[in-house]
Amino acid sequence: MADVRDILDIEVPTTELTKESIIGSDKKNRKRYDYNKVPKRPEGMHREVFALLCKDNNDVPPLFPTDTAKGYKQVRAKLGMKKVRPWKWTPFTNPARTDGAVFHHWRRVADAGKEYPFAKFNKKVPIPSYTNAEYVQHLVTNGWSRAETDHLFDLCRRFDLRFIIIKDRWDRTRFLARSVEDLKERYYQVCAALTKAKSHSDKVYIFDAEHEKRRKEQLKKLFERTPEQVDEEQTLLAELRKIEQRKKERDRKTQDLQKLITAADHQADPRKSERKSSKKSSSSSRNRPNKTDTSHAVESAGIKFPDFKNSGVTLRSQRIKLPSSLGQKKMKGIEQMLNELNLELNPPPTEQICQQFNELRSDIVLHYELRSALSTCDYELQSLRHQYEALAPGKTLTIPAALLPKTEPEIKADIIDVVGSPSMPSITH
Amino acid sequence: MASTNEFGPDSGGRMKGITIVKPIVYGNVARYFDKKREEDGHTHQWTVYVKPYHNEEMSVYVKKVHFKLHESYNNPNRIVTKPPYELTETGWGEFEIVIKIYFHDPNERPVTIYHVLKLFQSTPEIQLGKESLVSEFYEEIVFQDPTALMQHLLNASRPMTLGVWRHNTDFEAKKESTMKDILEARNKIRLEVIDLKEKLTLAKETIAKFKEEIAKISKAGGSLSVA
Repeated sequence: MADVRDILDIEVPTTELTKESIIGSDKKNRKRYDYNKVPKRPEGMHREVFALLCKDNNDVPPLFPTDTAKGYKQVRAKLGMKKVRPWKWTPFTNPARTDGAVFHHWRRVADAGKEYPFAKFNKKVPIPSYTNAEYVQHLVTNGWSRAETDHLFDLCRRFDLRFIIIKDRWDRTRFLARSVEDLKERYYQVCAALTKAKSHSDKVYIFDAEHEKRRKEQLKKLFERTPEQVDEEQTLLAELRKIEQRKKERDRKTQDLQKLITAADHQADPRKSERKSSKKSSSSSRNRPNKTDTSHAVESAGIKFPDFKNSGVTLRSQRIKLPSSLGQKKMKGIEQMLNELNLELNPPPTEQICQQFNELRSDIVLHYELRSALSTCDYELQSLRHQYEALAPGKTLTIPAALLPKTEPEIKADIIDVVGSPSMPSITH
Repeated sequence: MASTNEFGPDSGGRMKGITIVKPIVYGNVARYFDKKREEDGHTHQWTVYVKPYHNEEMSVYVKKVHFKLHESYNNPNRIVTKPPYELTETGWGEFEIVIKIYFHDPNERPVTIYHVLKLFQSTPEIQLGKESLVSEFYEEIVFQDPTALMQHLLNASRPMTLGVWRHNTDFEAKKESTMKDILEARNKIRLEVIDLKEKLTLAKETIAKFKEEIAKISKAGGSLSVA
């Protein structure tokens, strides 16, 4: 659309061109399709059913009943409601024709005497003309002679600017063979020059021949691709999609990893989490007097236990029930870890125990996730090392000792001491 | 507010911000008969019960307790309206008993406890029927924003006996040791999490380094092959 506006130099679309504005259908006919804005409940439809279609807020219902008048029953077509309007075999002339030939057609008696309705489609394009002086003053260019321009305008008038035909009828014996774009370019150039000269206005049609040539060339290329080329393009696109997907996956993984690490950081510094939870409890449950209610909100990457804030009676043990959204795998992991720690799966549920137990299991989930992330990393490291060894035979990359599956205790302790020193004091206190 | 209507079932309003906790103990005791009973094959006598953890009268706020037994029992739905809320039966098998506690205010929904009846244990004394088996659990009923009537009833409970109120299990000790164990476990997990985190960070960095190396070498290899 932008191209068209560029050519016509139009800012906003003015009047809409519709079928009605061209043909001008009678008003009576149109009214029938003009539904009321507020639909009425059809007879025989239950109020409840209608309410589903149409709510009180005057919205147009999502589905419009197409035949509302007669309820759900299929009605037979009603014929013979109006009087039959007679038709007559009448002669007519087409004003578009200059020879005044008379033809016959069927016509309503009521329409007798009216002009042939299709005559209005016979539009004549106004082709500008120029005098000798005008040509000399404005229209002289390189590559186009006066005779050639005259020939072009003659053809334009004859074929109503149908440039494909004009090109076909171009007199190749007298003039050079010209492409459609060349012809168009010259025509619009002449028109623009004449308009500017005559009316001193800048509102002219612009024809970008270069652009048009490129466009056609591209279309031609697209059209002339061989099936093999089409296939190749498809496979290349599929490959590209795959690559992008893999990249996204990788990004997501590293992001998840970062999230886990942050969660671990958060968990490792208990003061931070305590501050956060105490702030939360002071704001969200300030009207609850029990002082033991310091933190029951389990954050971080652990388990999201539901809040019990609704009025009513509950059993405390409900609060240590694992949410089913956790998934079987993690539940199993928690159970296994609790067994390893020699802890009961259902401890006596006092408020404090519930809270600590939930936080413990949250930590266990984080532990579990970290462990699985680490094993993925291990795997990736191994495969990267193999890749490297394949690329550079005889050379290898060394995986840090701490990451090897079986580390000697002293090395392990060493590494914890070195890297974990800033967070060590916060754990011990 | 001073009228007697205040606590009627239609007073409706809940006491926002108030939480009352009533600890209870539920479970069962079981005793072996020494042999299978001839007439019905039963081997154990058992008693399932719900009792207050503290020495207080539960009937003040509890309307009834509904024990739902295995369907093979005659009328498996047993309702106990007065304390002690317990039920004695004989049988030969273990099954899940559904215990439903109803409150005097119908606006408070009943709570449901699931208890697996325990009859068998490997300790020799119990197996011989000299000592009865106990399988009991601590639980807390939490009344969040109780109705006015319920709040009144919950605060009005009085001691049940003048004597010492004791359970088969020392729950205070158990609570304490559990708390200690959990805290220890948390510390242990926390340390391990830190360790894992360090490893993970190292792994992440190493992966990045390895990738860089590979990129370097593959670029070098590419230029070599061109040359």
